[in-house]
Parts: sequence; structure tokens; C-alpha cells
Amino acid sequence: MTAVAPIQDDLFTADVIADPYAYYGRLREQDPVHWNEKYDLWVVTRYDDLVWLTRHHELFSSAVFKNDPRPAYPAIDESDLGLYEYVKNYQGDQFIQHDRPEHLEMRRVMHGYFTPKSMEAWRPFVQAAVKELLDAAEEKGSMDVMRDLATPLPVLVIAEMMGVPREDRPYIRQLAEKLLYIGRGEYDRMKPLTEGMRGMIEYVSPLVDRRIVDPGDDFISVLARGEKQGVFTRHEVLVNPSLLLLAGHETTINLLCNGTLSFIRHPDQWALLKQDPAGAAKRATEECLRYDSPVVSIQRIASQDVELRDKVLRKGDRLRWFISSANRDPEAFANPTTFDITRHPNPHVAFGSGTHHCLGATLARVEGQEVFKALAERFPSLQVEADGLDYQPSITFRSLKSLPITWH
Amino acid sequence: MARKLRVWVDQQACVGNAMCEAIAPKVFRLNDNRQSEVVDPAADSEEKILEAAENCPVSAIFVEDAETGEQLFP
Ligand code: HEM
Ligand code: HEM
Ligand code: SF4
Repeated sequence: MTAVAPIQDDLFTADVIADPYAYYGRLREQDPVHWNEKYDLWVVTRYDDLVWLTRHHELFSSAVFKNDPRPAYPAIDESDLGLYEYVKNYQGDQFIQHDRPEHLEMRRVMHGYFTPKSMEAWRPFVQAAVKELLDAAEEKGSMDVMRDLATPLPVLVIAEMMGVPREDRPYIRQLAEKLLYIGRGEYDRMKPLTEGMRGMIEYVSPLVDRRIVDPGDDFISVLARGEKQGVFTRHEVLVNPSLLLLAGHETTINLLCNGTLSFIRHPDQWALLKQDPAGAAKRATEECLRYDSPVVSIQRIASQDVELRDKVLRKGDRLRWFISSANRDPEAFANPTTFDITRHPNPHVAFGSGTHHCLGATLARVEGQEVFKALAERFPSLQVEADGLDYQPSITFRSLKSLPITWH
Repeated sequence: MARKLRVWVDQQACVGNAMCEAIAPKVFRLNDNRQSEVVDPAADSEEKILEAAENCPVSAIFVEDAETGEQLFP
């Protein structure tokens, strides 16, 4: 008998960050509900477990910040603990951090704005924004997909939804970039993060005042209506616009960067997309979401004792479900490690599942489809320019640090 | 008289977001898999049913006129 090497519990080693698929894939096979000693954390890696637990929201609370007294991880600077409290408070008011019944009530205020039908109306705006960014890149002759395309695009779209005037866009972009520190493991991340959050509150506050008396069809007006109806307090209204910026920024960036990289690494699939960019973009985007998922894992807290496989999770235990391993579970997908842009059906869980299923999923899909289509049409000979590509040291997001490309 | 509707949920697409059940609870109910099932397509108004279909985040709900077969959603 060969001894099986024990599973090491440090989730931030260079190996795990560079290739989460090997590490979480091994857990999925050997110990799909794994107790991680180091972080006091259940690590759940199978597709069917993930679907089951996200759909049993009464057993697994999303109110992680309000219910988890444990310290931040990765660790933060001692002197930043006060800031961390601020962040927890700010974040705890987002509806993603609420359970039913409040969650449903809060989500319904915004849900109607994000339906597949209403988001389809944004496609022309997304197309125009993609064109503008790619025109600029073409002129320069090369680009960093991260800096020049993936980072500005979601902000342009969300700023337009908020009704932010054109001249304020650079300021919003600056705040959005500070908010991005949320998913990044830097030791001193709390300072830019809180600056971004405070900046957003200060910027949005007068907009809300205006929209309460003079509503329009923008997103701030939707929130203002929520306040008028008594669903949201003012603080909840004010933190919600950064919800769009936070929830929709790093995630969409990762879809655009990781997807572009998947195409560059799989020339046969890139050729397939180029044959019919408009026709193939939809399924191709779904496969990008599955193959190198933008979000790696999400947290919950057990609301009561729960049995999962051969383990018992105790009330108050925290757990993380891993999208990155579920989306490559051979029980759910044939040839899971193959990047196949014609895959159908493709029931990936990149957007989660259940009552918290991503509110911005349709918007993210539209942005992905329009970007991959435009790249295939305009830059048929994409290449990566750098040798080694680095990822942010995060267990939440699968984020490249940059993605420089050329097309000559 | 309200017209008769045929309403169904694509179980491959449904992610159990439960919005349909929140909007039209007499028509849609989540089953043991936490996926939506149509319990009675006549239990609420056409308007409510279309609102539920429109609010499904993954467009898993289909609605047609039971007699003419005319597609009403999506
Ligand atoms: C490719 C891009 C995206 C991915 C992969 C993604 C992924 C996810 C995931 C996995 C969740 C579930 C969280 C949980 O269960 O706790 C979620 C929730 C959410 N997402 Fe996204 N997201 C993306 C883009 C967006 C965009 C563009 C927006 C906003 C415009 C957005 C807004 C939200 C919101 C508000 C929630 C919370 C929903 C709730 O708690 O009911 N997301 N997203
Ligand atoms: C809606 C706006 C959001 C806000 C204001 C927000 C805020 C935060 C804050 C303050 C933290 C703690 C950061 C730290 O300790 O370094 C955090 C962590 C986290 N957020 Fe969000 N978040 C939002 C949306 C989302 C969405 C949509 C997702 C999922 C797609 C998500 C997933 C997570 C996860 C999994 C963590 C744990 C981070 C880690 O341990 O690496 N958040 N968030
Ligand atoms: S709204 Fe759509 S995804 Fe949600 S339960 Fe109903 S059919 Fe399923």
C-alpha cells in the first residue's frame, strides 16, 4: 500500500494560488467535506454538495460578517482592526449578507432591474463601450486586457446605470479600483478599501437625495424607492451602489481576463469562435465561466447542526464552497478538464445557485459575449506577451494580476 | 374569462432562485430539489404569471396560450 500524503491546509501557498484545480480537485476526490484546521473552516468541493447547500439557505446563513466573531483571513495589520470593523459593518448591510425574510424583501427592490429581459436592453451600450475601449487599444498596438479593457468596462456600464455624469466617471473608476482591494489578500488592504467605501457613500448620498424627490429610470432611483417604501434604511441604500461596483467588478474582470487567456491557450477553440463569433459567443461565454471560474469560493455559516456526507457540521461552523472544483467535477461534466466552447448543456455554478444566485448574471453574460465576439472579430491573432502570469493571492477570486497581449 | 395557459419550468435551467414562488406562490412551488414546479397554472392571474416568468433570473419559465399555442414568454 502506498501512503497517501496528508492534505496540507494552507490555502495560500504559491502552488494552490497558481493552480487551485489540482489542490481542490484532490480534496473533491479524497475528502469532499474537509475540515481545515488552519482556518477553522469546512471546505466543500463537490458539485452536488454545492448545489444542495446553496439551495438550503435555511441551514446555511449568508450573514457571515454579522455572525462570525473570528478574525479576518488572510490576516491584516493590527493597526487596521478598527478599519476592519468599519468594513464588516458596511458589508453587513449588503443584501448578499442577509438571510430570509429580509434578503427576499431587499433583493426584490432590485431584482426587477436585472431581469434577463431588462439587461438585454443594455447590450447596445455594452457594444459601444467595448468598441470604444478596443479602438483605443488598436491605436496603441497592444494592451493589458486587465487594465485597458476588463477593468474599465464594468465600471462604465455600472456608472451609466447609476446615472453618473460623464465627467464624474474617472472619479468613480478611482473609487472602484480602491474597492477592488476587497478580494486581494494584501496585509494592508483595509485602508484603500475603507477609503473606497467612504468615498462611495459621500458621492452617492446627494444623488439619493435628488432621486427621492425626482426619480428617473436609473438604479439609484430604484434604491431611493426602496427607502421610501421602508425596505431599506438610508445606510442600506448608500452601501448598495458599491454592491454593484464590488460584486460586479472583480468578478467580471476575471471572466474577461480568464476567458481571453483560455482562448489563447486553446487555439483550436479560438479558431472555432472565429468561424462564427456572433453565433458561438453565447455558449463560449458559459464555457469560460465554467472552465476558469471568476469566483473560486464563497462562505456560509451553519445555522444549525447539519450532516453532510460522513461529517457533522456544528451550528456556527463556517464553511466555504468551491466553485472552481465543482465546475470540474467529473460526476457533473463529461471531460471536465477540456475547454470546449460548444459544451451544452452546461449547468456550471459560476454564479452560485439558490436564493443568492447572482443578481448580475445576465449583465455579466452580456459583457462576456460582447467582449469575446469583438476580440474574435477584430484581433484574430491574439498572443500573450508575458511568460509567467501571476494570480492575486485570494481564495475568493481567480484574478490575474495582468494580461498583456499583442496581435501581430 | 381569462384564457387558459400552459406553464412549465425547464428543470435543466432552474437554479432555485425562488423568485417565481415569491411572486406567484399559488402557481409555482419549490420541490425537494429546490427547483420550481408548476402546481396550478390557473391559480393566479396571467399578469402575475408573466411577472414571475420575467423575473426568473435564468429564463427557465415558459408560458403559452393553452389553446392557440401562442408563446407568451419568453
Ligand atoms: C462573471 C461575473 C460574475 C460572477 C462570476 C458572479 C458570481 C456570483 C456568485 C457566485 C454569487 C453568489 C454569492 C453567494 O451565494 O453568496 C453572486 C451574487 C451576487 N452577484 Fe454576482 N457575479 C458576477 C457578476 C455580477 C455583476 C455584474 C453584478 C452586478 C451588477 C453582480 C451582483 C451580484 C449580487 C448583488 C449578488 C448577491 C445576490 C444575493 O445575495 O441575492 N454580480 N455573484
Ligand atoms: C455587494 C457588495 C460587496 C461588498 C461590499 C463586499 C464586501 C466584502 C468585504 C468587506 C469583505 C472582507 C474583505 C477582507 O476581509 O479582506 C468581503 C469578503 C468576501 N466577499 Fe464580498 N462583498 C461584496 C460582494 C460580494 C460578492 C458578490 C461576492 C461573490 C461573488 C463576494 C464574496 C466574498 C467572499 C467569498 C469574501 C471572503 C473574502 C476572503 O476571505 O478572501 N462578495 N466582501
Ligand atoms: S425563478 Fe426561475 S430559477 Fe428561480 S425557482 Fe423559479 S424557475 Fe427556478
